[in-house]
Amino acid sequence: MKTRIASLFLVVGSTLAGVVLAADTKVAMPEQNWHFLEAYCSGCHNATDWAGGAAFETLDRDDVAPDAKLWEEAVRKLRGNLMPPPGEKQPDPASRKAFMNSLETTLDHSSAADVNPGTVVLHRLNRPEYAIAIHELLDLDIDADALLPRDDSSAGFDNVADVLKITPAFLEQYLAAARQVSVEAMGNPAARTQSTVYAGTQAAQQYMYMPGMPLGTRGGMLVEHTFPVDGDYEVTVSGLVGGGYVWGVMDPFTLIITVDGERVFQGQVGGEADLKAIDVQQAVGVGEIDQRFRNIRIKVPTGRHSIGVTYKQKTAAEHNEVLNGFVSVAGMGQMVNGNSGGPRISNLEIKGPLSRAGISDTPSRRKLLVCKPANAAQEAPCAKQILGVLAKRAYRRPVTDADLAGPISFYEQGRKQGTFDDGIQKGVMAILASPKFLYRFHTPPPGTLPGQTFALSDLDLATRLSFFLWSAPPDDALIDLAAAGRLREPRVLDQQVHRMLADPRARSLATNFAGQWLNVRGLELVNPDTNLFPDFTDDLIPAFREELYDFVWDIFGNDRSVQELLTSDYSFLNERLALHYGVKGVRGGEFRKVRMEQPERRGLLGKGAVLMATSYANRTSPVVRGAYVLEHIMGTPPASPPPGVATFIESQEGGEQLTVRARLEAHRAVKSCGACHGVIDPVGLSLENYNALGQWRAKDIDAGSAIDAGGKLADGTPVNGVNALRDYLVGRPDLFVQTLTENLLTYALGRPAQYYDMPLVRKLVRDAAANDFRFSTLVTGIVSSPAFLTDRAPLPPAIKGAVMSANTQPPGQEQKK
Amino acid sequence: MTTFITRKHLSRRTVLQGVGAAVALPLLDAMIPAATALEKTAAAPKPRLVCVYFPHGAVMDKWTPKKQGADFDLPPIIASLAPFQKQLTVVSGLENHPAIAAPVHAVTPGTWLSCVAPRISHDPLGGTTLDQIAAQHFGQGTSLPSIEVGTEERGGEGSCDRNYGCSYGKTISFRDPSTPLPMEHNPRKLFQQLFGQGDTANERVAMLKENQSLLDLVSRDAADIKRSLGARDQALLDDYLTTVREIERRVDQIASRDLSSVQLPDAPSGIPSHFDEHMRLMYDMIALAFQANLTRVATYMIAAEVSNQPYNFIGISDAFHPLSHHANNPQKMEKLAQVQAWNTGEFAKFLKKLQDLPDGEGNMLDNSFVLFGSNMSDSNLHNHYPLPTAIVGGGMGKLKGNQHLKFADRTPIANVHLTLLDRMGVPMEKFGDSTQKFVEI
Repeated sequence: MKTRIASLFLVVGSTLAGVVLAADTKVAMPEQNWHFLEAYCSGCHNATDWAGGAAFETLDRDDVAPDAKLWEEAVRKLRGNLMPPPGEKQPDPASRKAFMNSLETTLDHSSAADVNPGTVVLHRLNRPEYAIAIHELLDLDIDADALLPRDDSSAGFDNVADVLKITPAFLEQYLAAARQVSVEAMGNPAARTQSTVYAGTQAAQQYMYMPGMPLGTRGGMLVEHTFPVDGDYEVTVSGLVGGGYVWGVMDPFTLIITVDGERVFQGQVGGEADLKAIDVQQAVGVGEIDQRFRNIRIKVPTGRHSIGVTYKQKTAAEHNEVLNGFVSVAGMGQMVNGNSGGPRISNLEIKGPLSRAGISDTPSRRKLLVCKPANAAQEAPCAKQILGVLAKRAYRRPVTDADLAGPISFYEQGRKQGTFDDGIQKGVMAILASPKFLYRFHTPPPGTLPGQTFALSDLDLATRLSFFLWSAPPDDALIDLAAAGRLREPRVLDQQVHRMLADPRARSLATNFAGQWLNVRGLELVNPDTNLFPDFTDDLIPAFREELYDFVWDIFGNDRSVQELLTSDYSFLNERLALHYGVKGVRGGEFRKVRMEQPERRGLLGKGAVLMATSYANRTSPVVRGAYVLEHIMGTPPASPPPGVATFIESQEGGEQLTVRARLEAHRAVKSCGACHGVIDPVGLSLENYNALGQWRAKDIDAGSAIDAGGKLADGTPVNGVNALRDYLVGRPDLFVQTLTENLLTYALGRPAQYYDMPLVRKLVRDAAANDFRFSTLVTGIVSSPAFLTDRAPLPPAIKGAVMSANTQPPGQEQKK
Repeated sequence: MTTFITRKHLSRRTVLQGVGAAVALPLLDAMIPAATALEKTAAAPKPRLVCVYFPHGAVMDKWTPKKQGADFDLPPIIASLAPFQKQLTVVSGLENHPAIAAPVHAVTPGTWLSCVAPRISHDPLGGTTLDQIAAQHFGQGTSLPSIEVGTEERGGEGSCDRNYGCSYGKTISFRDPSTPLPMEHNPRKLFQQLFGQGDTANERVAMLKENQSLLDLVSRDAADIKRSLGARDQALLDDYLTTVREIERRVDQIASRDLSSVQLPDAPSGIPSHFDEHMRLMYDMIALAFQANLTRVATYMIAAEVSNQPYNFIGISDAFHPLSHHANNPQKMEKLAQVQAWNTGEFAKFLKKLQDLPDGEGNMLDNSFVLFGSNMSDSNLHNHYPLPTAIVGGGMGKLKGNQHLKFADRTPIANVHLTLLDRMGVPMEKFGDSTQKFVEI
């Protein structure tokens, strides 16, 4: 009913050329499908049992549109072989496939009559978008996590408009961020002396060369620090040696401090005298050693510079022990420090400025200060020019005088109380605090009625496009094209998409899109048990992620087939990761393309990030892994376990140590569990040859027996290990490529892909298949779809009728007494 | 002495020269001298509400006292509450029926204090929570109507759901049915929320003034935008403007207050690298906010839903969530109970801090309503009955204390919320699925 009303509006006010409407077209479900449903589904999904809230006999036989949501759910369950559940009567593969195809074709047909592009509401910049926008606008790198609150995510993505709410905490932190960022961008000639302490982590290791350090050094820590003014600063390195048993201090080490890779200090620590001093004098000895690395004076110009602390590399002939500071091997750290304190942490403190010698040029100032006033008379016009250029980029459109009035009054206020620079800083702050920067939205043409579909303006389209492909505001070229009204021309749009995909900024599709799609942002939460995994070090986590991002970006950026995400026989490793995977011949900290000889390492399923993300601190979880593959790779997520059931999955301990497989088998024997776990477990078990950190293993250490990675997938396909699982997935682009596409669509639109988007998703997959599954085909397909180019004006918020209880009243109507 | 240490090397601590490089915890020690406590000027003490949530339920036979009534026994998980027994009420037999949903973890936190079944939607719609209703009534006189605090930014898989989204699983506080409030886990940001940006009193005042003009600009720009929006976006922008006005009110309130005589501790540098330190620090910040009378309402989620935090500091290397699926294995249940007992122990230290803070005629705990519990019962069964629930504090003389109450099986926990609101002077007829108020509490 609703769809038909909407269509009427579209007839009245459509601004879209070429939309053919067939509002009265009803598409019936073909008769043979009802026979299939009768034979395999209606035993449970009937009006008596209502299993899962579905009863097929109650659906409209003459029109699939009203029940499209349920039909799409049914297709999904069938595609993933989640239904009929294992143990129930199964259709033969050919009839299953025929039914699915017919169902999908019918739904595609029906939806063509009235394409619903969906609605995206007011969209707030999220944390990563804010950080990237600041980088684009001001050439300044900030730590957005430390400045802004956590965003909610939806459908696995943190750029979904619906849940990017604003509460007082958000607004306050956005204001605070505007202030801090504008000061950092301009520099502060009167900066007060401050001390900033960077804590070393396990990631700060000392056994391998670190990129960014001088050659011939080993390990250390490297921090990017923003210096507010040219001047003297002091660096203090602490915690190199401790009291008691001192690790590695029997040998002399040369500690080096660098600024932007240049050595500015070196000093000795360790050796016989130091060992004795610590041993005999204890704290006094330690204090004397610490003193050598205290308040080391450095001269640094304004802006962001890298400060490094590292050791001089020794030859293999010398004793090459690691020193207490920067202990990286977690197991070793525990041995040294006991379990109480964890590994020793050393700090790098940067204090200053201790003298102030003005502001020198920085990338931020070069980017921002597009003019320099030669005299007082030029100041006001120059300020207007500077703020105008910034506002255009920040607001993502040509700006008016009215837009600039606010920022200019801030400039004037600042100028009155201080220098020209102070004025500019205030103006920049005002622009960054404005909702015009923080919100993006689609402006409906005047007269658009609720429920009516409207075309996005060129400028709104430019913004949507650049946040999709770059997580960033559009650049000047894109804004100018849009302002000229040319972006919607299909050829221009296509050119722009290809230009943007070739730009390094599109790597955000790997870090922001794939990182979230594959759910590898939370690896830090796994906290591996270092008693069981003594080789684990914190630097493995960023390495895992870097590998995955480089890998995905290589395929996306080079416009390769997305199927290669599963199959590619190369990866990106540095020495740390190569050591972890047992790959020889990779030296040094930089990541480089490496051919992986073992087929087990091919594609996403062999990546440490994916395998660790699906494990617990002390063991693998075939259930988590199976459910992960079903949801993130196959797009057919299993239902959640029902509440109130015993979840004794894979945790039987005690007398006899059973393999995980044996424990799962016992669990599946319970019928209510087997319905889902019969589908989940075999997928997860096929990955059992990887331990919780993604290392290859032949044996289950707990049970002391060989790993058995064999089993049968829900459709009866036998799989034995990862290679077979991968082959299966490659043969089912309707699973893998479709899942990728659905996720990409969610990310592109900023709203979860819905049932009414599925005809588009299927079309995108078909079109991609015809073009070798090239990544750009998916992107251009999305960008040229009605879902991307148009929007549906939402119906006004529903006024809730029956108030269930006193605390469910809609906002603004809380009871007042 | 514990120092603030950050896990990420990018996080930083910033202290003024002269104040010293190593600022000590706990915050309270370095805090506002009693003589300058802001609350001194207030005529009469006001109620405080703290709701402390722990995920993954409790091993119930190690939580629930055997004896009913007064002078009840304290099983291992709540043994550390012994010093507060006179002001402690353990309530048994409670259920949160509206919390029952298939993706258990993804809806459990957000329904604890609302007792409203959430809409199956990524765009959340549940119920206004207990704390926020309280904040609407007696939180308006302070610069922050409420604070929402967490320890972990995110939990493992399962705290989000593809149908319910993430909103109900990440917070226990909803300002209104559709506005979840994020739990702030970064002590530095919480500190700035409480005291403002800036390192000195003068700087803070200058920045507050500047914020007032920034907010004017923000309002004007929002009004500009509003003209080019559709109806629903206009409604969303109205929410934004409401928020702007709320901040304005807060800024005015802070600006009119003389903070110059208050000796504040330095802002924490960032997130402590150890979970236990982090939790203590967040408790300290809540106590600090109460002491400085910056807020009267706090919620605290001591660990994320589906937290996989190992408790290495008490020798338990199992991750919290998988351990909570103990399969009735006695060894695992014992370990889990130890984790839960430790959580209660930290909570007890917080109670002690409140008790040590003078407030009116008595102390802060005397004037507080503290709810401590989980919205899950047996983590192995993922159920919501019987819920581990304890009420602590004198409640300004409105709570009886020293009793273990066992209500009829499956009594709605909403009755407890309704009762607490009533005792705090917030009269309501109904809360969630409540059926009655309790005279017994």
